[in-house]
Amino acid sequence: MQPLASVLLWSGISVLGAAAFGVLALSRGETVNAAWLLTAAVCTYAVGYRFYSRFLATRVFGLDDRRATPAERFNNGRDYVPTNKWVLYGHHFAAIAGAGPLVGPVLAAQFGFLPGTLWLVIGVVLGGAVQDFVMLFCSLRRDGKSLGQMAKEEVNPAAGATAMLAVLFIMIILLAVLALIVVNALKASPWGLFTIACTIPIALLMGWWMKRWRPGRVGEASAVGAVLLLGALVAGGWVADQPHIAPLFTHSATALTWMMMGYGFIASVLPVWMLLCPRDYLSTFLKITTILVLAVAILVILPPLRMPALTPFASLGEGPVFAGKLFPFAFITIACGAISGFHSLVASGTTPKMIARESDARLIAYGGMLMESFVGVMAMIAACTLDPGVYFAMNTTPAALAQASQVLGQAGFVVTPDFMRELAARMGETTLLARSGGAPSLAVGIAQIFAGATSVLGGGGRTLDALWYHFAIMFEALFILTTIDTGTRVGRFMLQEIAGHVWPRFAETSWYPGVIASSGAVVAGWGYFLYQGVVDPLGGINSLWPLFGISNQLLAAVALCVGTTILVKMGRARFAWVTALPLVWLVTITMTAGWQKVFSADPRLGFLAHAASLAGSTNPAAARLIFNDRLNTFVALLFMTVVTVLIITSLREWWLVLSHRKTAIVHEAPYVQTGYATGD
Amino acid sequence: MCRRDMRRETERETGNGKREMWLTRAARVVRRIIGAPDYEAYLEHCRAAGHAPTLGEREYVAQFFEAKGKGARCC
Repeated sequence: MQPLASVLLWSGISVLGAAAFGVLALSRGETVNAAWLLTAAVCTYAVGYRFYSRFLATRVFGLDDRRATPAERFNNGRDYVPTNKWVLYGHHFAAIAGAGPLVGPVLAAQFGFLPGTLWLVIGVVLGGAVQDFVMLFCSLRRDGKSLGQMAKEEVNPAAGATAMLAVLFIMIILLAVLALIVVNALKASPWGLFTIACTIPIALLMGWWMKRWRPGRVGEASAVGAVLLLGALVAGGWVADQPHIAPLFTHSATALTWMMMGYGFIASVLPVWMLLCPRDYLSTFLKITTILVLAVAILVILPPLRMPALTPFASLGEGPVFAGKLFPFAFITIACGAISGFHSLVASGTTPKMIARESDARLIAYGGMLMESFVGVMAMIAACTLDPGVYFAMNTTPAALAQASQVLGQAGFVVTPDFMRELAARMGETTLLARSGGAPSLAVGIAQIFAGATSVLGGGGRTLDALWYHFAIMFEALFILTTIDTGTRVGRFMLQEIAGHVWPRFAETSWYPGVIASSGAVVAGWGYFLYQGVVDPLGGINSLWPLFGISNQLLAAVALCVGTTILVKMGRARFAWVTALPLVWLVTITMTAGWQKVFSADPRLGFLAHAASLAGSTNPAAARLIFNDRLNTFVALLFMTVVTVLIITSLREWWLVLSHRKTAIVHEAPYVQTGYATGD
Repeated sequence: MCRRDMRRETERETGNGKREMWLTRAARVVRRIIGAPDYEAYLEHCRAAGHAPTLGEREYVAQFFEAKGKGARCC
């Protein structure tokens, strides 16, 4: 492009984005159209990708296409395979995007649409996408090594062990909170439970098809699976109307908890081809298709946002969805979509083994994370198109709703019981009250958007609400269950590896007593937190989601620590601010949030204050609640300590290198000239 | 040499050359995106590397799934 045309184009995009932000920020009291939110986001992503990611790729990392990547050097046609960058972009995106970017923004909508959106858009450009990019770059230069291995080699062995321990604990909290979302969506919902239960035999059939009957015929098996899945969705509506069959699929949250634990255990012990892989394929198809359709549907109907830009809970800190003020809790609640530590595991896992040339990493890591942020923005739009009264009635328990009733009433965020009953009936449910966890309210938002789009296109419109609602629930539950399968399995491998240092036999992945014991331990770990969340009078999300947010952001801090260390050792200390600035921000918000969750004097916020408020209570569950508060305190303090240790060791390493007290040894794989044609 | 001349193994024309149906190509792209086994790609790799395939289709699929079970999925 001609230089002048390029300058004009990018100036235009920047001005348009700034104008959209202006409209969002200055709107007070009137309804804003989602188009402004989309414009602000897309323009920021475009400018960030065009300028900042290019700066990172060329100046900071010095990506070099003449250097052979691990995919080229170790090409085995299986896991090390040079892959087209657009194909790998899709693969990487499917691996990083899960329930997190959908649920976090929905919960953060409690503060209004503005804080969450700003954090999603600015956080990803300067933080989340940078973290993914630096991790992929570092792993790419180290034969595809994992975060733990890089921490061990580049910082020190203690940092490696600390990072590994952090990942295991974070995995347990993550699995618990995701399982809680599914339980809250499926309790007393025969339609939802029937559809999700059907995914198990469908996945088993697919597994048998592509492994035993017609090996490798994934396309056929997936097509059959997708048709059966849609059949199960429609059949669920019929099941829910049958008085003799519906009770078989109508269960309490506690019963579902035990079912989830049983499922997680079995899925992690069975061979991967049997259940895990087929479910993963189904969920990937559904994920990519639904996200594309949702984007088109939002563009077609451009819904107005009924939630205000800022709600009173942003400054009061007494929100019924979760306690705490905008700072730091908006930044903790939205982890995935803005910055997510978990991505460092994918960016140092399968993706670096498939990159054909170094410069592809820019599109795959930075661009992939921008797309995840866009998914978060769409979730925010879907949640904010709901009537605020409906949003709060769905996302809190009656107890929490009663506590916040005065503020909700003053803000006009109220809804009548009759309206909620009518809405539930339209969605094919008996009740939508107190379905905390974000997924059901997002499903109502998505159902309304899809139903609106189909009516714009001349379709059946509102009569499809119930089907769209359960489609959205299936879409979310399917990939949450995939994360539970894979997460429990990965946790099991980690536990076996750790225990193997004490008893070597334990590390053998084919030794069944070890497999069963370690899977059982991982399931018991997340199952305990899940059960605690299910029986929590305030709904569980209130305490578990902030713990998850803190742990996920702290894992991002670990990744950024390793990234900064590598930049310093590479002699790029003058550019270390690209990772150090997001690191400082993350440490500030996570430590503040962690401190407040533990030590705040407000019983709705602080674990210890909540435990103290229950002392001497006649509530028969008081002893258990007090124990849980203390356990949550321990977990939060453990995360904070782990990261403090890692930061101190990293700071020491940086100081030693920068003051020339220690020779910087970078553990990069040796340079090998690529055999592919290159050149610019 | 120009970037557009760069050939990657996965993009190289197969034995059918340009006659390869777009549907087959699309199916291969989808396989890669969802992370499914692709025995044809393995055979091509063996041809390009100049050695005979050591794995039959069943063994390849079995090993592929085994490696995949260790990967993490995100939240």
